Amino acid sequence: MRVEYINPFVESAYNVLQEVLSVEITRGELYLKSTSMPVLGVAAIIGLAGDVEGRVLFDMSKDTAIKIASGMLESMEMEPIEELNDMGKATITELANMITGQAVTKLHNLGFKFDLTPPAIFTGDNMEIADTGVEALIVPMELPFGKIEINVAIRERN
Amino acid sequence: MSTTSDPAALSQETEQRPGAKTRVGGLNQHQMQEEDDIETVDYKMVTFSLAGKDYGIDILKIKEIAKFSSFTYVPNAPPFVSGVYNLRGDIISIIDLRVMFNLPAERKPEGSAEDGLILRLDELMIGVVVDSIDKVVGIVSSRIQPPHPIFGDVNIQYISGVVEKDGRLYIILDVDRIFAKGKSTTEEAESLSAVVAPETSAASDNIDELKQQTIPGLDGQSSGKNEEELDLEFIREGLGTFRGFYPDGIADSWLHRRYSEWRAERKKQGLDVQLTGEDDADNFMRTFFSPYSNRFLGEDYVEAVKAVLPEEVSKNISVWNPGCGKGYETYSLATVLRMRYPGHILKIWAGDNDLLSISTAPNLVFGADAVPTLYEPYLVEAKNGYSFSSEIKDAILFEYHDVTHTSTVPDIDIIVARDLMSFLHPKQQASVFNEFSQKTSTGALLIVGQNEHVPESQDWQHVGTSVVNAYRRL
Repeated sequence: MRVEYINPFVESAYNVLQEVLSVEITRGELYLKSTSMPVLGVAAIIGLAGDVEGRVLFDMSKDTAIKIASGMLESMEMEPIEELNDMGKATITELANMITGQAVTKLHNLGFKFDLTPPAIFTGDNMEIADTGVEALIVPMELPFGKIEINVAIRERN
Repeated sequence: MSTTSDPAALSQETEQRPGAKTRVGGLNQHQMQEEDDIETVDYKMVTFSLAGKDYGIDILKIKEIAKFSSFTYVPNAPPFVSGVYNLRGDIISIIDLRVMFNLPAERKPEGSAEDGLILRLDELMIGVVVDSIDKVVGIVSSRIQPPHPIFGDVNIQYISGVVEKDGRLYIILDVDRIFAKGKSTTEEAESLSAVVAPETSAASDNIDELKQQTIPGLDGQSSGKNEEELDLEFIREGLGTFRGFYPDGIADSWLHRRYSEWRAERKKQGLDVQLTGEDDADNFMRTFFSPYSNRFLGEDYVEAVKAVLPEEVSKNISVWNPGCGKGYETYSLATVLRMRYPGHILKIWAGDNDLLSISTAPNLVFGADAVPTLYEPYLVEAKNGYSFSSEIKDAILFEYHDVTHTSTVPDIDIIVARDLMSFLHPKQQASVFNEFSQKTSTGALLIVGQNEHVPESQDWQHVGTSVVNAYRRL
């Protein structure tokens, strides 16, 4: 993945998570992956198009998702959730949208043109994601609620 | 076209002939003689040109000849798909054969029509864009000769044969293979993996063989030899463990040379021959690296690189530089190529899996004393020193990329992978070399490290000098 794309995603993930949750966040080591990988349980996905093609995947366990959604809802003085209901899913989707949106804005300022697709969310056990022909950058983020893995797979349009 | 696309009529005609044969034997003999003289045309093809060469496609595969204008662009389609086209109500995809085969395409003025053919493959209709349509040529199918590897422009598996007619040589394309759908692509992938698998297993067989050869030898010979071989085996393991360095099959001669030096050195110092840690491994590998590693290439090396570069190159030069580190090598390469081929369009894909190194590469800043004078015309003053001008920078795309993963680089003219293969696991080396062969066509150049060599293969021929270790794609 092009070097210039890495930082905007790492920075915006860090900024947005800290802003909406007001908790301590540590960033893990970045790494590359090209084969199929397991999905932790809840995965929000946003497609990218424009100068590039690809997608960003936000992957976390169901438990983490519930805690993050509750944290976000509470910060807006709304009821926390007990299970991953529609409200919970919408909240996680929105988080993914905010992070990707901010990253794309940063990239736009650097002169790269990206468009986003509406986010979608997948939940379930024993899921796997495979990208053929493109390798994924994994940005692990450690939160007190658990781990979010941000999985960015982008390639240039030749 | 209607006459030829009516195979039923043709077959009727041929059915009648045997009947004639039985009735009037004498006449028939005469007729056969005549046929031998003229030779019956039993294969017709539509001919066209791509990048100045003549090609043909079996007329039975062709629905019609068309002029395409105003395609509808399809997002996320592969680069060779020009778009979709409305053919009297049917929507068909249009493929640009020149892009598909990586041939230079003439740029036609905006809005003017492109020459093309509409192919009918089973139920699938596909439009292809070509440079220009020539005519319909009838030939004798027995005159078709099998493809020869020399036709490097188009991948040989897509050529069904070559035929000469009126002094012109036509390459007949196998459209069924080119546009093979799901089933045959998996077949191809399978055959591909079948090709790869024996190679790798052959490689491991070789290693086993080597071991078998050395072990009985060891038993029979003096204990001194035995110890040496064993020590070398341990050193190999040590290099792998401490530094992920696997010179077997890539830098054998260096390894053996270095090993005898090392033995003498260590004996003198009164130390154990074996590697005890990373420091020892680094010390052992000291003499391995190619000149100007992690520095800008010096003038002597630049001259040597220029000497191996091909005379003739296409207008667009694509270069792949995996394992580029901080980018010194890549910037040097960009400068050399810019000087050597002025006016050409240069694109370099540079990648490394070391995030820290590669992150600094796009904005590399250095002191003026770090650069040999030959780079001066391409430097600009930056905040804390010098950096390269946009002319050089814009030609390079730095990627955080692991060479053992699938790569998105297109077809490549020059690969520079100095001191890279030796740092891959033996299992990955074969697949990366295979990828190098897949991404290149005849005439492409591969530069490896000074002490490295490409394993025996039908694809690469050594053309390098003692300084620059280069191979040309066959």
